[in-house]
Amino acid sequence: MIRKNYVFKHWQLYVMLILPMAYFIVFKYMPIYGVQIAFKDFNVFKGISASEWVGLEVFKDIFSQKGFYVALRNTFMLNGLDLVIGFPAPIILAICLNELRFQKFKKIAQTMLYLPHFISWVIIGGIVYQVFATNYGMINLLLENIGIGPIPFLSEKSAWLATYTSVGVWQSVGWGSIIYLAAITGINKELYEAAEVDGASRLRRIWHITIPGIRTTIIVLFILKIGDMVDIGFDRPFIIGNVMVREYSDVLSTYIYRIGLQSGQFSTATAVGLFQAVVGLVFILTANYVSKKTTDEGII
Amino acid sequence: MKALKRVGSLLFTVTLCFALIAGCSSNSSSNSNKGSSSSSTNNNQGSSNSGSKERVTLKIEVFDRGNAPEGLTVTNNLMTQYIQENFGDPNNIDVEFVAIPRSEEINSLNVQMAAGTAPDLIFTYNEGAAYSWAQQGGLTDLGPIVDEHGPNLKEYLANSLQYGVFEGTQYAVVARRVNLQKYSSLIRKDWLDQLGLPVPTTTEETYEALKAFKENNLGGQRTIPFGFALSPDSYEPVIWSFINEQSDEARYLRSITIGSREYPILMDGHKDALQFLNKLYSEGLLDPDFALDKDKKKKEENFVNGYTGIYSFDTGQVFGNGENSGVMTLEGNVEGAEVVPVLPWTDFEGKSRQPAYNPSGMYIMVPTFSERAVEAIKYLNWMAQDEVIQYMSFGEVGVHHDVVNGYPVRNSSEEDQKLLFNPGDMLIITNGIDFGSSEKNNEYMALSVVEKHRDLATLSREYSDKDAVSQPIRFEKPLDSEAKYSVIMLEKYEELLVKSIMAKPDSFDQTYEVALKDFMDTAGTEVIQERTAMYEAMK
Repeated sequence: MIRKNYVFKHWQLYVMLILPMAYFIVFKYMPIYGVQIAFKDFNVFKGISASEWVGLEVFKDIFSQKGFYVALRNTFMLNGLDLVIGFPAPIILAICLNELRFQKFKKIAQTMLYLPHFISWVIIGGIVYQVFATNYGMINLLLENIGIGPIPFLSEKSAWLATYTSVGVWQSVGWGSIIYLAAITGINKELYEAAEVDGASRLRRIWHITIPGIRTTIIVLFILKIGDMVDIGFDRPFIIGNVMVREYSDVLSTYIYRIGLQSGQFSTATAVGLFQAVVGLVFILTANYVSKKTTDEGII
Repeated sequence: MKALKRVGSLLFTVTLCFALIAGCSSNSSSNSNKGSSSSSTNNNQGSSNSGSKERVTLKIEVFDRGNAPEGLTVTNNLMTQYIQENFGDPNNIDVEFVAIPRSEEINSLNVQMAAGTAPDLIFTYNEGAAYSWAQQGGLTDLGPIVDEHGPNLKEYLANSLQYGVFEGTQYAVVARRVNLQKYSSLIRKDWLDQLGLPVPTTTEETYEALKAFKENNLGGQRTIPFGFALSPDSYEPVIWSFINEQSDEARYLRSITIGSREYPILMDGHKDALQFLNKLYSEGLLDPDFALDKDKKKKEENFVNGYTGIYSFDTGQVFGNGENSGVMTLEGNVEGAEVVPVLPWTDFEGKSRQPAYNPSGMYIMVPTFSERAVEAIKYLNWMAQDEVIQYMSFGEVGVHHDVVNGYPVRNSSEEDQKLLFNPGDMLIITNGIDFGSSEKNNEYMALSVVEKHRDLATLSREYSDKDAVSQPIRFEKPLDSEAKYSVIMLEKYEELLVKSIMAKPDSFDQTYEVALKDFMDTAGTEVIQERTAMYEAMK
């Protein structure tokens, strides 16, 4: 009875929930209906329900294609690099920013670091080509002038991986640091003062106060990141990649784009998407489980 | 009581929302199940006579290239108004144009075909896509409708109609293509003069000239002797000149059609062609970043800035655009720059064999879910009249074009730009205007070029016709495997090209074999098997 009254009393809140719920239902749950395409020989003109069931044929076809494995490997590789390098970067940046005492500089630096986040990948791609091209790219012209041979940033595979990763870090590091900065603000100032009185150096304070203080945030974001391991954005690999490094730059999202939209094989594309979702789920649950066992913190 | 009322209204809102959602979904699925169920009220598919009482809407695709003049759109402009007034109103039809982004054409059509929302009249140059829709039962058989409602159209298109027949059914109306020349090349005459060299006429002479351009850095530090991009207009002419086979059988069994191009990938000479390009690359005669230049922007830039010695391009490109043509820009940028047409590559017989188009243009189709097939054909039939073709390509004399030497030549006035900014996308039944013979057509094409380049442009076109071979060679129907793998094959082929060309010369063989094997494993073998089977069946 009490519970019911509560609902009545705050009905406005529930009404406000309708729109977001409708969003999730329309755009996230209803499309699940279409997942069955992955198990059908989908004919666009017959529609979803009239197409014939083919069982796991589509998956068999995918798993026999070399291109799929290459795309899968690359997805893991590029995401792995992002995890190793791209994940700690905003944490380090946030800690550095936090240690700055000159407020004006800190603010300006922060704003400048956020900016790349708002630039579309298409534009970043254009900049990258201008800056890193082998022949007349800015950096290679500089290198040439100081006597170091041109470095094929965009055409040689390992150099390309470095370019890909660092451009990603450049684009997202500032934005990523916001959440850590917010978490740092939540740490009790008295802890720092006490530590200072005890004679703890700056590094010690970071190590024993700041990092434990934002540990929960780090872990939550880490778990989410792990869940995204098979999920990769489309724009970045598609735009920064090129023919010479396609063996490395072709990832699941570009693969799906090519198969599904460009070649019109919707069943295959859906099946790859489903595969991606399932593996992602397994990853996120595993990461959560491990985290709960070891640090007692998790998201579910 | 009051509270109950509130709950009631809340529940009502929620149910309404769900009803809406559910309504949408059931609607869309039933749509895709049995074709469009909407507009069943004014369904007059059966009634074929022109005096139909009810006004209907005919939706027509138009490419959006983002080039509409200010204040106009591709879907609403002077030309669409002309069509509405002259075709729509007399026939009681509302003509509605639907914009499809040019570069995303196949993607958006695929999606719209699947959703059942594609326009009544769709078109594409992509035969593979057309065939795949036909195969899945998504296209209307236009044969009987053309017979009944398209007498002008039939007469006008004549032979090109056959290209739209897949397995005996006329799934598409195929436009004519008037100018079949595909690629042309230019060479810097002033550079040759400086070196005292003649215009090269064989592959060896061309190679020597390229070497000399490089050694003397005639275009400055950035000299690029041979303008080369990762695009067909760069590699196709070179590759085809190295092919030592030319029988139809060889073309059926050892080349592969990707999109609308024929790739002689297993033919004798293909490897030599790539090895030659590899040599050019390793000797610094190509742009080192050519593989990044898929849209040819860099290649064009290098040419107009005077870095390029030999430049090959889609025929018509560098002379087009009047005062702003590529050659004009080059001459403006570089003092003394002078170009002449050249046929740089010769084959084993000493001929300049080069690719040309088949005489077919766009595939124009009507989806099965459309109820306006008859109106669509009537529209095309209306278009196939001389005065309509004339107006849709040149507008009115004195306003949009002038008559020069008996040919209508657009005058580039503001009115002209406003009416005719996309004639090729509106006048879909033909690609280019036919004046009766190829000499006349060439003569006409030259008139659109600035006066001082007319002779060059004409010569350049004539060169493009020399020993040209229509491609691709056609089977009775497109191949399933080629349709399925076309995107992947193109990417793999580009990989093969890039890797082989950029390999160190001593590891060329190995690189080529590995990349070729990759191509064949991915899709090539399957395609060749299907081609062989079909060729055997055809014999």
